[in-house]
Amino acid sequence: MVTARNLSTAVLRFGQMLRASGMPLTVGELMDGVRALDAVDVLDRQDVYLALRTTLAARYEEFPIFDRCFEAFWRFQAEEGQGLEGLTTPASPAIPEEHSEGSGPEAAQKKVSVALEGWEEEGEDDGEPLEVPGVSEKEILMDQDFSAFPVEDLDEVARLTILIAKRLARRISRRRRPTRRGGVIDIRRSMRANLMKGEIIELRRRERRRRKVRLVLLCDVSGSMDLYSRFLLQFLYALQNVFGRVETFTFSTRLTRVTEHLKGASYRQALARLTEVRDFSGGTRIGESLQEFNARWGNLVNRHTIVLVLSDGWDTGEPDVLANEMLTLKRKAGRVIWLNPLLGNPSYEPLTRGMAAALPLVDHFAAAHNLASLRDLAGHLNLR
Amino acid sequence: MRAEIEKIQQMMEAADYVTDPAIATSVHLAMTLKKPLLIEGHAGVGKTEIAKVMARMLGANLIRLQCYEGLDAAQALYEWNYPKQLLHIKLEESTTHSLREKEATIFSEPFLIRRPLLQAISQDGKPPVLLIDEVDRADEEFEAFLLEVLSEFQVTIPEVGTIKATHPPYVILTSNRVRELSDALRRRCLYLWVDFPGFDKEVRIVTRKVPGVNEALARQISRFMESLRAIRLSKVPGVAETLDWAQALASLHADHIDEELVLETLGCVLKDADDLKRFKRELTTNGLKRFVAAEG
Repeated sequence: MVTARNLSTAVLRFGQMLRASGMPLTVGELMDGVRALDAVDVLDRQDVYLALRTTLAARYEEFPIFDRCFEAFWRFQAEEGQGLEGLTTPASPAIPEEHSEGSGPEAAQKKVSVALEGWEEEGEDDGEPLEVPGVSEKEILMDQDFSAFPVEDLDEVARLTILIAKRLARRISRRRRPTRRGGVIDIRRSMRANLMKGEIIELRRRERRRRKVRLVLLCDVSGSMDLYSRFLLQFLYALQNVFGRVETFTFSTRLTRVTEHLKGASYRQALARLTEVRDFSGGTRIGESLQEFNARWGNLVNRHTIVLVLSDGWDTGEPDVLANEMLTLKRKAGRVIWLNPLLGNPSYEPLTRGMAAALPLVDHFAAAHNLASLRDLAGHLNLR
Repeated sequence: MRAEIEKIQQMMEAADYVTDPAIATSVHLAMTLKKPLLIEGHAGVGKTEIAKVMARMLGANLIRLQCYEGLDAAQALYEWNYPKQLLHIKLEESTTHSLREKEATIFSEPFLIRRPLLQAISQDGKPPVLLIDEVDRADEEFEAFLLEVLSEFQVTIPEVGTIKATHPPYVILTSNRVRELSDALRRRCLYLWVDFPGFDKEVRIVTRKVPGVNEALARQISRFMESLRAIRLSKVPGVAETLDWAQALASLHADHIDEELVLETLGCVLKDADDLKRFKRELTTNGLKRFVAAEG
């Protein structure tokens, strides 16, 4: 017999499996899942499936994970020959496929809404000017191309990147504080202030809320671009408090959304993941990647969005496609910035076909190849 | 399938909404678990319609909050009726009421404007259906505020006191994914994704909603829409467009689709200049067969 107790145990175990596969379920959702099974026919597979999907999944993108787990869970029960009645057996089905990074529900649980390690914390900061404190050695660092650092120094450079970004963040938020009088009239408070006067004489005002700019990053992670992408990402994520939202995609021959990955882990892990999604088939299909972005994720872009593309413009696809997709982006976005680390080389000219096609459609073209150029970039991350 | 779900499906069909098990199940759960239901999907697939049908089905009031950029608590929850307050102050000018008395008067129920959220919470009798439409258009801050209201179903107005819902409303939220909603809100809600209808469902919708269209034409229309959605368009036509088009064809007394007719009425379906161009190019190279073939 299927008892209520059996069912709730089954749902909890299914929930563990989902969590281990990367779905950040809350206790509330699991309880809803149990209650939902009460409201459907638990012997009908479709009923159970829909009831659990409705309560446990929270976005369309979670459906594939959910389906995979549900399939595995159901098959496991069937193989054991127990149907739903055996749901309480102690053994647990294997977590399907590759994505069981970390181990068990604790690891997945920990991921929930933990910001990138240390990227948000308030570092001690003496509010000195932006230059890294006057040590000449470090000033040299500012101008050195990222690719020219020996591997063992990269951690130190990464630390510096974050430090600079934090200072910039403070400066940008200071700039946001309104200086002029004005804003909108606060009728409610005006009314109170003038209660005995019979009419409104003294107006109370309140500031209009400022909109935060959103960022969409499209990072080329093919070959030599990988290193630059990492630094750009570290830099921008350390700045993320200043922005409304940062969405991140990587591309080489195809597009991958990595926003969720970056949210979950420490930044070291996150950057390691970037390498995982890279495919080494060589060549970069920027046009096709942008096309996919516009088709699938186009609604992330509006006039409050700044789109940053980091790539050297070596496109093995059709330049027409690239130009076309850049145009679509430009029409929708508040600003389109193209970052090309090769620009740091004085003898470089943007002559690749891809670059030539994209360039007329770009609002700002910069290098992002060293610390100094990242710092300068911050000045362009606004919509005016 | 549980009898209740089947019944809901029948009731929705009776209310002229062509549905499927996924939709019926989530509506059933939203009603039994009393949880807000978040509905996502492309524009024009009938998300808003679900709330309307639900209200009709339950014989309940539908209270709608249309979200937009800059929507704030004053627009969504309540506001004081300032002109009325002003008038009142003016009229009372010569009286000897104290400040305290005057204040108590103008900040009392008769001067309160109830916006949709407060209406939904303070309704007596049958719980209403509260539709929070296109929640992705509102700002992040509003989303946080909404979360608070939805978890407590109570509102504190400093001058009046706390109002708690005696019959919490059924809440439906819709989103077109213009902005990604926060995880906090998502995980608080039940979730339903409404996709473009499959061929059979679309045929049923067309024959159901547009009486002048016969089965054969409905099949042609649906096949056409299906293949149209498969080409890369910047604004993919939804069910709303299908129905507009079917309506147009019906009023032209068409009983089948031909190239001329398609070109004449295409404006019902494709509403973007680039999409129109792309489609016409497709039509001249491949002909209409590519879009209506594979019948029978």
